[in-house]
Amino acid sequence: MATPPPNNSLQTMLRAAVQSVQWTYSLFWQLCPHKGILTWGDGYYNGAIKTRKTVQAMEVSTEEASLQRSEQLRELYESLSGGETNAKTRRPCASLSPEDLTETEWFYLLCVSFSFHPGLGLPGTAYARRQHLWLSGANEVDSKTFSRAILAKTVVCIPVLEGVVELGTTDKMEEDLNFIQHIKSFFIDQQHPALTAKPALSEQYSTSKPTSSSSSYPLVTANNTIPIQNIVDRGEAIILNNNTKEAELAVPNSSFIPSELMELDATLEEFRVGSSGDGSNHLDSFPTEKSMALCSAGLELLQLQLPPAPAHPPTENLAQGGTDTHYSQTVSSILQKNSRRWPESPSLNLLTDSFQSAFNKWNSGADDYQHHFHVSVASVTSQWLLKYILFSVPYLHTNWLKGKGTSPYETSHVMAERHRREKLNERFLILRSMVPSVTRMDKASILGDTIEYIKQLRDKIESLEARKRLTGKRRMRQVEVSIIESEALLEVECVHREGLLLDLMTKLRELGVEVMMVQSWVKDDGVFVAEMRAMVRENGNGIKASVIEVKNALNQIIPRHEPYTLASSDHF
Amino acid sequence: MGASSDPTQDGSDEQQKRSEIYTYEAPWHIYAMNWSVRRDKKYRLAIASLLEQYPNRVEIVQLDDSNGEIRSDPSLSFEHPYPPTKAIFIPDKDCHRPDLLATSSDFLRVWHISESAVELKSLLNGNKNSEYCGPLTSFDWNEAEPRRIGTSSIDTTCTIWDIEKETVDTQLIAHDKEVYDIAWGGVGVFASVSADGSVRVFDLRDKEHSTIIYESSEPDTPLVRLGWNKQDPRYMATIIMDSAKVVVLDIRFPTLPVVELQRHQASVNAIAWAPHSSCHICTAGDDSQALIWDLSSMGQPVEGGLDPILAYTAGAEIEQLQWSSSQPDWVAIAFSTKLQILRV
Repeated sequence: MATPPPNNSLQTMLRAAVQSVQWTYSLFWQLCPHKGILTWGDGYYNGAIKTRKTVQAMEVSTEEASLQRSEQLRELYESLSGGETNAKTRRPCASLSPEDLTETEWFYLLCVSFSFHPGLGLPGTAYARRQHLWLSGANEVDSKTFSRAILAKTVVCIPVLEGVVELGTTDKMEEDLNFIQHIKSFFIDQQHPALTAKPALSEQYSTSKPTSSSSSYPLVTANNTIPIQNIVDRGEAIILNNNTKEAELAVPNSSFIPSELMELDATLEEFRVGSSGDGSNHLDSFPTEKSMALCSAGLELLQLQLPPAPAHPPTENLAQGGTDTHYSQTVSSILQKNSRRWPESPSLNLLTDSFQSAFNKWNSGADDYQHHFHVSVASVTSQWLLKYILFSVPYLHTNWLKGKGTSPYETSHVMAERHRREKLNERFLILRSMVPSVTRMDKASILGDTIEYIKQLRDKIESLEARKRLTGKRRMRQVEVSIIESEALLEVECVHREGLLLDLMTKLRELGVEVMMVQSWVKDDGVFVAEMRAMVRENGNGIKASVIEVKNALNQIIPRHEPYTLASSDHF
Repeated sequence: MGASSDPTQDGSDEQQKRSEIYTYEAPWHIYAMNWSVRRDKKYRLAIASLLEQYPNRVEIVQLDDSNGEIRSDPSLSFEHPYPPTKAIFIPDKDCHRPDLLATSSDFLRVWHISESAVELKSLLNGNKNSEYCGPLTSFDWNEAEPRRIGTSSIDTTCTIWDIEKETVDTQLIAHDKEVYDIAWGGVGVFASVSADGSVRVFDLRDKEHSTIIYESSEPDTPLVRLGWNKQDPRYMATIIMDSAKVVVLDIRFPTLPVVELQRHQASVNAIAWAPHSSCHICTAGDDSQALIWDLSSMGQPVEGGLDPILAYTAGAEIEQLQWSSSQPDWVAIAFSTKLQILRV
């Protein structure tokens, strides 16, 4: 229960209002923005004072006494609500105690603990309706057993500013609209304070107060006399209590306590709508009891007045349209945009008749021939290039990317297998075109024919290699002789043997061929080579040797190990 | 390299009919091939080699209609990594934009063509974390919005590129398996076919959904090619793997083929809708035939199935087919190492 700090200007207005009509108290219920409820803003007590405590010896004016009393009552409330600890630390020697209060003071004190939700209680209802409420005979309404004049009999609530002003009095008064307007004027006028107006108002209050005070509050007047009269006041109070309760006169304190408890109960009943209090509970610690009661009362009010969380109305979610709805819109958009084209379409037949077309008229007679011809091929080459573009070409990229070292696109197993099959089929076709003798078209036959063809090729290779070897051997024996007049040039190439060169030169000498220069060497593979330049001389008969004679003579000397020597000689 | 006329057929007017067929012999197998679209570059085509190696070749060839020869300009010939899976000239008939050619292989590449040279303008790689991009099986250039190219990949995605900003506009996981082809149907609508055997339609305004408008009857029979009729976008056609039939679909009636074209004697390799007619389509296949069909009577059932209206027989399996959008009287086919352009 947070109490807002006292607003001096507000209290001034409350004091001016309550004093102008000489009522017992005035309060301001202020709307709390956060909680949305009316709580005690400030107040001014203008009623009877039971016991006066002051450190000052001299007397103060009634006005000052009431102001001081209001503050003391608020301090007492704070100490009671704060518990014993706070009470000890805060209470100065001049502070009030619960037993120092009159009934009306208690009533005023209890108001501090109350709060009202708009529409609930007297102040709440006045605030909600934005019009004043005049409750006459308040004490009788709540409890018919209470007939004490000191209780608030009339309560008025007037909505002003951001809250409600409440005035109460112990006199029973009937509703008076002029009274309402009079009170309102204080709060409306005070919105625009005038410096000159304040002294005048103040003077009026001090002037009018003694007159009304003497006529309305005899008890209050008695307070201003000698101390002996104070005792008389207490006696009157006791008498009143006795008359009301019809109880035996005993210790004054004991009779006082039940009266206050009953009052507390009545007050709680008056301001707690629909709740039942336990005011009759007796506890030894009187201050603690009241403090708990005050806190309990406030909490109960808060709990009762807390509005339940408003239920959110369920929002209808429109059902989403199905696919058919969307497709209809798609079809509509297509038809609308393109509808203008249709009438403009020319006839193709007209164009065809006008020009020499590359196409022929369709001839259904050719169906049978074409049908038989193509059916056998369809299964092998059906849509070959189209499927190659769709099934194989896109995966060339994957192989290329793998080569580049980038992360490859993951190919599904099915596509990889299909890719492999396409390649195999392609290669079977190529293989079939390369093998000359193909018996049938199936893969097994193609493979078989290819195997046979490779065998034939191998046989050819072997025979060709054999012929190559024969040609090489045939060239291992060779003699060439040329004679021009008296000069001779000889070349010999044959298998080497020891002493071959000397034998050749000896033979030539016998024929009259005189060797002048010789170049001779033996190759790594054992072949003897000799190139000779010679002079041919006439023999005794005057005849020179012929080329044939020399050649035949040399051939007889060179080795003859090969079996085909004679054939070779004949050849040359 | 030599160009020669190819009188493969006899006719009463052989001399005049001969001029309707022009042939170009390339030094390698041709696969990716397409017409130029610009008005000022008539009879110009791009052809790409299919060699199982890293270095491949792209040539831009031109028909000289004065002497009937198709010539390759050496200065407009350039090397290309891997065999291109598709080649498309920029769809800019009015010559408002630079002369561009796009090719797809390991990446999407955009080439700039000037009078005497071709240079690489953009290499589009959407994977910022690595140099690697899912290999592309095909792509399509958005005619209504030439800034957009959609690519299809074996990594199950379709990617929409902004080729001016050279960034990825959108990437969608289009299918459960490899995506084999993609085709635009409008500014923000495209379709794709996949190894999972389905044709799906995507709307870029709602990227969370796609609609299956066809599934091949046998589970997991791949669909390998897709063509969307540009003149009448209600219809598209698709090719089934190892199948001799072409399935024509109506986007308003998913899963129900409008008609199945079954006159090829072997598997179909390529389809092309007529760019100037809403009810004609050309198909080509392993039976060496290119057939032109009239689908104007699609609504009524035809006894024994629909017959094509025209037929042309080439010298080998026809692997590629493109119908010129700037000169709709002509189609181009590629078979073996030959490029042929035929008057319709």
